[in-house]
Amino acid sequence: MSVRFVVGKVLGAFATLAFVLVFNFFLFRVVESNPVATLYRGRNLTDAQRDELTRQFGLDGSKLEQFVRYVEQTLQLNLGRSYATNRPVIEEIWAAAPQTIALVGVATVISMVIGILMGISAGWRRGTTQDRVLTSTSMATWSTPDFWLGMILLTVFAVQLGLFPTGGIEDPTSGATGFAKLLDQAWHMALPCLTLAIAYVGEFALVMRSSILDVMREDYLTLARAKGLRDAQVRDRHAVRNALLPSTALIAINFGFVLSGAIAVETVFSWPGLGLLTTEALRGPDLPMLQGLFLVFSASVIFFNLVADLLYPLLDPRVRYS
Amino acid sequence: MRSIVPAAAALAAVLALALAAGATAQSPDQKVVLTVGLTQDLDSPNVTVGELVSSFELWNLQYPTLTDLAADDLSTAPGLAESWSSDDSGRVWTYTLREGLEWSDGTPITAEEVAYTINRSREEEWLNHYSTVQNLTAEATDERTLVVTSSVDDPKLPGLSVYIVPKHVYEEIEASEIGKYAALDGVSAGPFSLKEWKKGQFWRMEANDSYWRGRVAIDEVVFRVFRNADAMVAALRSGELDAAHNVPAAAFPSLETAEGIEAVEGEQGGFDYLVLNSYAGQPPRDETKFDAPHPVLLDLRVRQAIAHAIDKETLVERVLSGLGTPGTTISPSPSPAWMPELSEEETYEFDLEQANQILDDAGYTDTNGNGVREHEGKDIVLRYAIRTESEYSKPYAEFITGWLKDIGIDTTFSSYDDGQLIEVAGKGAFDAYVWGWTPFVDPDPMLSYMKCDQISVDASDFSNFWNDTGLCDPEYDALYAEQNTELDPDRREEIVHEMLTRWYTNAAYVVLATSPDLQAYRTDRFSGWVRQPAEIGPVLFSNSSPSYWSLEPLASSGDGDGGLSTAAIAAIAIAGAGALALVGWVVLRRRSVEERE
Repeated sequence: MSVRFVVGKVLGAFATLAFVLVFNFFLFRVVESNPVATLYRGRNLTDAQRDELTRQFGLDGSKLEQFVRYVEQTLQLNLGRSYATNRPVIEEIWAAAPQTIALVGVATVISMVIGILMGISAGWRRGTTQDRVLTSTSMATWSTPDFWLGMILLTVFAVQLGLFPTGGIEDPTSGATGFAKLLDQAWHMALPCLTLAIAYVGEFALVMRSSILDVMREDYLTLARAKGLRDAQVRDRHAVRNALLPSTALIAINFGFVLSGAIAVETVFSWPGLGLLTTEALRGPDLPMLQGLFLVFSASVIFFNLVADLLYPLLDPRVRYS
Repeated sequence: MRSIVPAAAALAAVLALALAAGATAQSPDQKVVLTVGLTQDLDSPNVTVGELVSSFELWNLQYPTLTDLAADDLSTAPGLAESWSSDDSGRVWTYTLREGLEWSDGTPITAEEVAYTINRSREEEWLNHYSTVQNLTAEATDERTLVVTSSVDDPKLPGLSVYIVPKHVYEEIEASEIGKYAALDGVSAGPFSLKEWKKGQFWRMEANDSYWRGRVAIDEVVFRVFRNADAMVAALRSGELDAAHNVPAAAFPSLETAEGIEAVEGEQGGFDYLVLNSYAGQPPRDETKFDAPHPVLLDLRVRQAIAHAIDKETLVERVLSGLGTPGTTISPSPSPAWMPELSEEETYEFDLEQANQILDDAGYTDTNGNGVREHEGKDIVLRYAIRTESEYSKPYAEFITGWLKDIGIDTTFSSYDDGQLIEVAGKGAFDAYVWGWTPFVDPDPMLSYMKCDQISVDASDFSNFWNDTGLCDPEYDALYAEQNTELDPDRREEIVHEMLTRWYTNAAYVVLATSPDLQAYRTDRFSGWVRQPAEIGPVLFSNSSPSYWSLEPLASSGDGDGGLSTAAIAAIAIAGAGALALVGWVVLRRRSVEERE
């Protein structure tokens, strides 16, 4: 891989990030708001206190001054203060991120493994009943709204069957610590994770199926068969390896969406992650929080896209670094 | 197919393991836990900072008050003080504290402790204390005797239900730092003390052994925050919750008929109103910075016609799904005694014909036949604002503007979130919108919001107002000042009735309906739920929340909330083992198939 290629991709990613940074500032200032007046209504603030709060929220000075300060602060990872809690946005995001990464990460891995296996077996036996069942299942789960699916699973498994809790991340009364606490959290994560896994699996399955179909016409498969390899060997050693390439890009991009991927599902299950932070911030609207989340979400997508770009040529020598 | 069978089986195994894990993670102890669901987290446990209803519930359970609010009618009842008396002027009150009072950490509660909160909160103007204590000075004359002196005639005395904080904790905190204090010390003199708060998830409180009423029958109370109100209702049905606050209106009817669940429409004086912008130049403000109402709204006859054009019964039935009751005057307190009985002539009955007649007589006619009356040759079009944060705002708007149309008044719509609407209202850039109020126990604060000096005139801060009508009625202000110092309770009630009737007649506020708190609780876990005020009020999140110290666990309740039976655990274990066996079988079979091939 040439240095030029890598540098180009990295610069491109930074340029995109810089655009988001600038766009972000203006996007969240389309709505005029005066958080000091709204938050401290009826509290008889002195002018000095009012000015101090305005300064804390970074709303003093002209728009240009605000912009310069915003860029400076963001580069120092200071995303401002939440209107709702008056705490630094970065701290709130930092505290909520692990829960989201755990939930969406596990769901993505599960759906990736199952989805790819589904795609392989559907594509390999194209046109059979098995293919039709798998493909239509994938279409159905892919097009199901995840909040709706979440409510259905919640009603069935938590209310009717009483097998799982209705929400939250842990049982407040158990007082469990260590491994028992981890188990308790796994138990709470089961339903939201299952919801997301079902919602994601279809996409992986369909992409994998179509890649399998693409490689099935390739000469090297004919050659492999001619060599006398068994069907499973042809599939696993020759077809799947090549067909996995497009899925790699998809997987990398999907990891970019891990942070922002579960807004609706986290809300349904009161899962205290970034998604919940987002719905909460939308209510206010808590503009610095939204702005911070938006930036973090964008940065994550840009980063994993870059990873996909850099990974692809490593996996597939046919891709030229042009 | 065979490649997905093991994967599916593996997923089933993982789920089963998670389930079994959950089952074992259930604590086997026999603690009596009350679990309450709500949709709002604490804003701050710090009593000088927090202002949400959820935080008030925390303080009701943790902090004692000198006098309590009676469960049935919110009248003044003994709290830390067991008795009190006043001098002849009615301005000096002497309270005698109970014997042997203690904080949960063993520190005695003396008269000095109580005096500390009253004096410090006055000096530093604590958010939730100041309106009550601003004219009071407290002095401890001995361990159990507290003398409170008011600099004015104050009809709220001897009632003094501000939260008393532990002096030995708070004297360590400087005035400049107090707003930042996290207040997780858990030092309590109420029925429970705060042990844990996980932001956005739950807070947990444990029974206080030294509570002055005696230790309560519940060991722990857990408040779980739900971001999805439907999931909260589901948790109540499944038994994970014992009670829920702020049940969505759509789910309420199904809970009313659900077995083992009692649904409660708790009236606390909250109401929805239609406001008509009636600012007529008093008190003066810089007109270049403010907007003005539609001129017809300054004509009392037009406002009265609008009041006649609103069918509150229909609004309750169709907009509020029957939850709430049609409104009359402003309700200044959760106690209904403060509201006057309106005579028939005083009441604006729903009558479109009469409304049209009033407008005809006032000379607003539709000369061009387009269905809209005119004022100075132009159609009367009012600017109606919709609150995006209220689910009822739009349906209210549809009905109300429909009736306005029927009496020849047209409207345009704008939508705002609450922060924006406060500014729009402050600027006077609207003609009408629907919003709501929830009053405090004493009528004074609610009554004060309608005074002339509460009208927005501060061009540097458009949110600096409470009187959103802009209507200034000096006669009302005079009556307000009178009730504010009237020490005879009956006479004060009369004055308040007169004020509210006056305000009703002004028709700048059309009170649409009461807005009850929708709650529900399970009947199979605890007995002794208390509605405050009696019969009409809510069981939780009321003004002093008496349910918590009245509840008794029912004998049959056990610990079965959300836990799994042994049979279920066994079934899951078997399912998990079966799934694993299936995986093993498929893998083995696959290997043998490949060998055969």
